[in-house]
Amino acid sequence: MLYYLNIWLASARYSIVRTLMFRGDFIVWSLVEFFWMSVNLLLISVIYQHTESIAGWNKYELMLLVGTSMLIQRFLMGFFWSSIFEMGRNVRTGNFDFFLAQPGNVMFMATTRKLDPDGLINSVVAAGVVIYAANQLNLSPRLIDLGLYALLVGCGLVIHYSLLVISISLVFWLTSAQGVEGTYFTLMEFSRLPREAFKGVFTQGLFVWALPVVVVSNAPARTLLHGFEWQWTLWLVALAIIWFGIAVFVFHRGIRRYASASS
Amino acid sequence: MLSPLVKYRQAFLVGLQSNLVYRWNFAVRGFFSLFHLAVVFILWGAAFEGVGDIGGFDLRQTLTYFVTLLILQFFISAFNEDYQISEEIRNGLINQFLLKPINYFLYRFSIFVAARLVSGGLIFLPLLVAMPFIHEYLTFPTEGWRFAIGIPAVLLSALIQFSIAYSFGMLTFWFLEIQGFVILSMAIESLLGGQVFPLDLLPAWMFRITQFLPFYYQMYFPGAIFTGRIDQSTAMEGIVIQIFWVVALLALNQLLWRRGLRLHTAVGG
Repeated sequence: MLYYLNIWLASARYSIVRTLMFRGDFIVWSLVEFFWMSVNLLLISVIYQHTESIAGWNKYELMLLVGTSMLIQRFLMGFFWSSIFEMGRNVRTGNFDFFLAQPGNVMFMATTRKLDPDGLINSVVAAGVVIYAANQLNLSPRLIDLGLYALLVGCGLVIHYSLLVISISLVFWLTSAQGVEGTYFTLMEFSRLPREAFKGVFTQGLFVWALPVVVVSNAPARTLLHGFEWQWTLWLVALAIIWFGIAVFVFHRGIRRYASASS
Repeated sequence: MLSPLVKYRQAFLVGLQSNLVYRWNFAVRGFFSLFHLAVVFILWGAAFEGVGDIGGFDLRQTLTYFVTLLILQFFISAFNEDYQISEEIRNGLINQFLLKPINYFLYRFSIFVAARLVSGGLIFLPLLVAMPFIHEYLTFPTEGWRFAIGIPAVLLSALIQFSIAYSFGMLTFWFLEIQGFVILSMAIESLLGGQVFPLDLLPAWMFRITQFLPFYYQMYFPGAIFTGRIDQSTAMEGIVIQIFWVVALLALNQLLWRRGLRLHTAVGG
């Protein structure tokens, strides 16, 4: 465990040094993420100019939900996105050999190699959105609620990480994961919707029960809004364990198909 | 007269073949777009609960707008043309075009047209699957002028889409990495192109400003013509501004290409 922590710290140090070398790039990427977050908030703002409620959620409740979803997404971007995104390219080009030759768990090595400080910087902005919305709603969560919120955000991160690894692992079967990588963001869109908005049997079955995309953000947001609800907490923790297991399985199945592409 | 076009016809055919290789990727992307459509239907369905209309349009009209935009996106959007151009500049692959009587813009545009024909055709597969669920939400106006103006508007939008992607590709002459710029521009284009919400929901003064920007003509304009969100006089005025932007962007592309080549260093054989 300590061995992997040391490897991760070395990778993190390398990523930060690299970021300091390309400061312009860091600023551009920070702006990119900031702008995308603003687009989501603008959408809420425009819709609420024309209506009072969306599925029983008022403007600031929905802002808190969207902020939570963005927070999880920023952590994903900051800690894992670059490494997993590059994994798709590496498998296609044969550079994935490099990870197979490393002395450690291949999935860990391939998915944690790079840290993106711009994503992590914007997680502060996302947290700011959550705090602003909570203030507007006059919420005063207890310390235990905040701890639970952090735990559930962590579970959400594990679920998103697992979904992303599964999506990119498709590159082991397809010639290119070019389209698949982008479509992952489409799934993330569901996490910005309140669970109550899913009315039909099909949409509830698929997006609420089969795929964990709604519960990842709704469970922590509800904890801040309504306090501890054991059903939501247990549901999210169980999903994190199950989806991580599926990701490990799919990734290792994929590796079996990997035939390299280099000479 | 037509002989110069033969070489671009060949580029088009090669583009068609290479994009057909990735047909499953386009198809998968198309099917995943249904998820985006599902988000739109769920969000706007919930927003319309208890209110008859939003911005003067009912739920069916609003959902028709988003479905139309999805189809347009697969027919005219630049997917990764900016990256491809950037890679060709960075790896020195453009050197061959400097020695041959081939216009690089027309070469890339021929491939773009081929790629969009493939992706545009393939979007109908997922839409056919979704049709039993969405057909009752679709409502299109039937006035003839909407097609007469709408089809040229779509073609001009494709040119704007490609020209913007091409300009971003050209930035590689100045910057090593353009990915950040491209994604920043994607956010701006999605927002001001009307893909996040119909632009007419913005406050009137803000909506008026967007009408003078090129992004409005990338997607919202043809979409709004086909779905009845703008009237004939606004569409006529729009076509004029759209033509202006096409000319301006084509000129910008030429300028960037010429200036960029001054900085370009071709190394190796």
